[in-house]
Amino acid sequence: MTEATLINPLDTLVDQFPSGWVKKDERPGYSGFIVEREHLLEFARTMRDDFGFDYLSMVTASDYLAEGKFDVVYYAYKTIGGPALIFKVQVPREDAVVPSLVALYPGADFQEREVWDLMGIRFEGHPDLRRILMWEGFEGHPLRKDWKEPFYEEDVKPYKSRWPEGKPVNADDRNPFNDNVQYPTGFDPERWVPEAETLLYSGLQRTTHNEEFKTDELIVNMGPQHPSTHGVFRMVVSLQGEKIVDLKPVMGYLHRNHEKIAERNTFLQNMPFTDRLDYTTSMSNNFAYALAVEKLMGLQVPERADYIRVLMAELTRIMNHFFATGFLLNDLGVYFTASLYAIEERELILDIFEEISGSRMMCNYFRFGGVVRDVSDEVLKKIHNLVYDRIPRKLDQFDAYLTNNEILRTRCEGVGVLTADQAIALSTAGPILRASGVPYDVRRADPYSIYDRLEFDVITGNHGDIYDRYLVRVAEIKESIKIVKQLLRDIPSGPILAGKPAYQVRVPAGESYGRVEGPKGEMGFYIVSNGKPNPERYHVRAPTFINLTSLAPMSRGEKVADVVVILGAIDIVLGEVDR
Amino acid sequence: MDAGMIWEWIIKSIFLILFMTGGFAYVTLLERRVLARMQVRIGPNRVGKFGLLQPIADAVKLIFKEELIPAGADKLMFIVAPVITVIPALIITGVIPWGTSINLFGREIALSIANVNVGVLYIMAVTSISVYGITLAGWSSNNKYAMFGGLRSTAQMISYELALGLSLVGPILLAGSMNVMDIVQAQKTLPFALLQPAGFIVYFMATLAEINRAPFDMPEAEQELTAGYHTEYSSMKFALFFMAEYIKMIAVAMIGSTMFLGGFQGPFVDQLPWLGPVYLFGKVIVWLFVDIWIRATLPRIRYDKLMALGWKVMYPIALLNVFITGILVVLTTKR
Amino acid sequence: MTTLQIVFLIIAAITLVSACLVVMTRKIMHAALWLVLSLMGVAMVYATLQSGFYAVVQVLVYIGAISTLIIFAVMMTRNVMEDVGPQSNRGWGLALVGSLILFAGTSAILLTWDKAQTVLQEIPAVNGENIQMLGLALVDPMGFLIPFEVASVLLLAALVAAIFLTADIKRSRS
Repeated sequence: MTEATLINPLDTLVDQFPSGWVKKDERPGYSGFIVEREHLLEFARTMRDDFGFDYLSMVTASDYLAEGKFDVVYYAYKTIGGPALIFKVQVPREDAVVPSLVALYPGADFQEREVWDLMGIRFEGHPDLRRILMWEGFEGHPLRKDWKEPFYEEDVKPYKSRWPEGKPVNADDRNPFNDNVQYPTGFDPERWVPEAETLLYSGLQRTTHNEEFKTDELIVNMGPQHPSTHGVFRMVVSLQGEKIVDLKPVMGYLHRNHEKIAERNTFLQNMPFTDRLDYTTSMSNNFAYALAVEKLMGLQVPERADYIRVLMAELTRIMNHFFATGFLLNDLGVYFTASLYAIEERELILDIFEEISGSRMMCNYFRFGGVVRDVSDEVLKKIHNLVYDRIPRKLDQFDAYLTNNEILRTRCEGVGVLTADQAIALSTAGPILRASGVPYDVRRADPYSIYDRLEFDVITGNHGDIYDRYLVRVAEIKESIKIVKQLLRDIPSGPILAGKPAYQVRVPAGESYGRVEGPKGEMGFYIVSNGKPNPERYHVRAPTFINLTSLAPMSRGEKVADVVVILGAIDIVLGEVDR
Repeated sequence: MDAGMIWEWIIKSIFLILFMTGGFAYVTLLERRVLARMQVRIGPNRVGKFGLLQPIADAVKLIFKEELIPAGADKLMFIVAPVITVIPALIITGVIPWGTSINLFGREIALSIANVNVGVLYIMAVTSISVYGITLAGWSSNNKYAMFGGLRSTAQMISYELALGLSLVGPILLAGSMNVMDIVQAQKTLPFALLQPAGFIVYFMATLAEINRAPFDMPEAEQELTAGYHTEYSSMKFALFFMAEYIKMIAVAMIGSTMFLGGFQGPFVDQLPWLGPVYLFGKVIVWLFVDIWIRATLPRIRYDKLMALGWKVMYPIALLNVFITGILVVLTTKR
Repeated sequence: MTTLQIVFLIIAAITLVSACLVVMTRKIMHAALWLVLSLMGVAMVYATLQSGFYAVVQVLVYIGAISTLIIFAVMMTRNVMEDVGPQSNRGWGLALVGSLILFAGTSAILLTWDKAQTVLQEIPAVNGENIQMLGLALVDPMGFLIPFEVASVLLLAALVAAIFLTADIKRSRS
């Protein structure tokens, strides 16, 4: 990166390319650039190499059925901070082919597969373009606007049929299962034999066979039912002895097409729905979604509400990092001891969440323009006790017993290494990116809410191994405690919600992307509104889903036992990965 | 050899087997309670007072579970493997003396089943065949995880048996006998753990590996291999593996206490021979507690590190220990 | 026939039958296990001869160590669960004739050799004493010290060769 890249202005971007390659997106409410499909690769390479947009954070697409085209949307950032570069490729629906960016940004791998899977846009040049969330035999691409699910009633909620004359009717009773199931032509479920996953298995890298000893690889399916995949997740590994030759993650067992459901919901109905993504960090999910919608609505959040929001987000981070480090130890084989001690601390924070929101995990606490309930002084006092006394004490204890534990260090140091360049290229986020030595934290790089007023450090590691990820998490708990202390000191009084509480919000047409630094990485929501009460497009940038892209590069060459720990250090939640 | 002698043997053998199986049941309870305490939990306390009937409830549950045999399994081996695992665990403690002898119903009864001259060698031999059950289970299940578990356990047990055997040479040299009774009697004044600290530590660690306890529980490493060699087992066949693991735990604790901690020796044991078993029992309980404590505390070592530890650290230490002990014994023995 | 003789016959039958099965079973894993049983039979023979030491050593060395290694190696082979091909090849008739001739010849020689007819005498050994004698004989310069040491050198050579064969030569070069 040269000095010129730092000051290369985006305003004159269009002029830097031959005419017709790039144009500004001038639809009302939209921003960024529209790139011609033929020149996408060249454009992206210039942006990466000459403009410093080295971090491709999000790839998604939205379906404009009326106009007969798809928008493939890319959000790229500089890891030194600053706003996004948004670029789009528009392709007609009949000819939905886009060049793949995997060669430039390996982190686009899973995201492009997801777009292909759900939207049916083919990425030319993608090395392994298979479905990722749906199963191989699935018919159709469910996020297309003309795809209708079984039990389809209307495009958007609230469905009129649900409450005829004020009485609820079960949808299953009205629509018995068999009447509404779509089968592809010629498909007979009785006689169907699942096809062998030859594509998956043949995609695995192999070592050249050792002719002298005639050794062979062993292919093991770790999962979907496996005690340490943190849910229903599968890793297909090819092994040479105990050494991993290659690994392919297989996911989607928990897929429920969150995005399609959310596009049927109204904007506010989606708030509790975001809780279900990463069910351990519902507050941050709420935060990102609220930010995205507020950006569209142009709402200003009252100061007290901002403080409360950040307070909750940081408590969530403390809770999540405790949980993650505890379960990392579990993956190392410390029969639950560390995780149970971690859960004890987590419970105290969950108690606070319960007190303010009524629910321990599915908080549904944020509203557009604020939060739903005020935080009483008693709760603030409780939080005060937590961050000034209990949690630092317990954290020191944790630190004392674990950080220098001989076995922990030998198992974690130098294992699952991701260099800084790799981490950026693979679009990892959160503690993984920072443990690799990249000081990229959305709270600092692109401050939202009141983070620009708060004093805290962005923690980075030096080696990018599991041990550094552990250390980063522990240190981030300390930073979060620091933030919470400042918030408790400065929290003003005042309203907690801009305007009146409303069931239905008016969201002007346009697109927006709201992102926060969630405990697991950059949590973002890409929302397209067309002025109706429901989002036209709702996409989740799920941090752990994208972080999983780095699983295979980290695992190659390591031992079977390490893969489990590497996965544990990514800290995945399948509710978010599979959506 | 009169009839009374044979009856005495039979009764003692049956008592030993009952003791070991009963001990197994309550070691599981002990483990669950102690682990729970260490993990800020309470542990099973609903079935009976302090959960004392929990093992029985577990046994009943396991008996009524479905017996599954995988389609691709080698059926005979699959069924035989758990049995082969349990038998060595049960018979290994046959040579351990519980005390000198007591007077019961007018008979002088020795508190040991067999007083074999090559007792220590017998222990080693039985240990060495105990790997078969696990290996067979891993192989016959026709499951990759089980296979890995079987392979790991075979390699691990072979590697650690060396260190284990060598660690027992120390007490043999000091006592000048392979008879377990002689070894216990030689510790009347000083337990060998103090004279043989290196041997004691090597023995302790090697047995952890030998019985697949944390942090060396590679063959069944839950996080990696789901359950290792017993992945495919259910119901009573699974229970037998479980049983073997805990009986082995008790057995190595008993052997270790006998070889290094003075066995049944303790204050006033000469006057009151009944105290012998009590002392032994106490030592075994402490040993088991330490095993459980370690399980609650330490992460699992990685498999290759484990093998490196076995071959590159423990084995040389044990060898050196034998060497030094031998020289010292020769130097201090009066001719 | 005394009880001991009956026991001996049973043990001998087990040993021989399982020894035959080692070469007759199809599954290589089963063959290894039959070998274990055969070796166990030999250990039992030692036990019936009142030689606890040799019985225990037989179990420890042959069953506990060597057979375990064999089984370990067998588990590493490909397709261990499957039966492969016929057990005997075309020359099995010739091999049978050859081995029968060999057996007959050996038996004839042994039967006619007068040393084989001598009645064995029980060695008067005190408990444990013969083990001590064995140990002394192995390290006595006048006894078996040289064969003992030569055997250990042989084993060392085998170890070095094994390491040389399996070591990753590519890695050490780079």
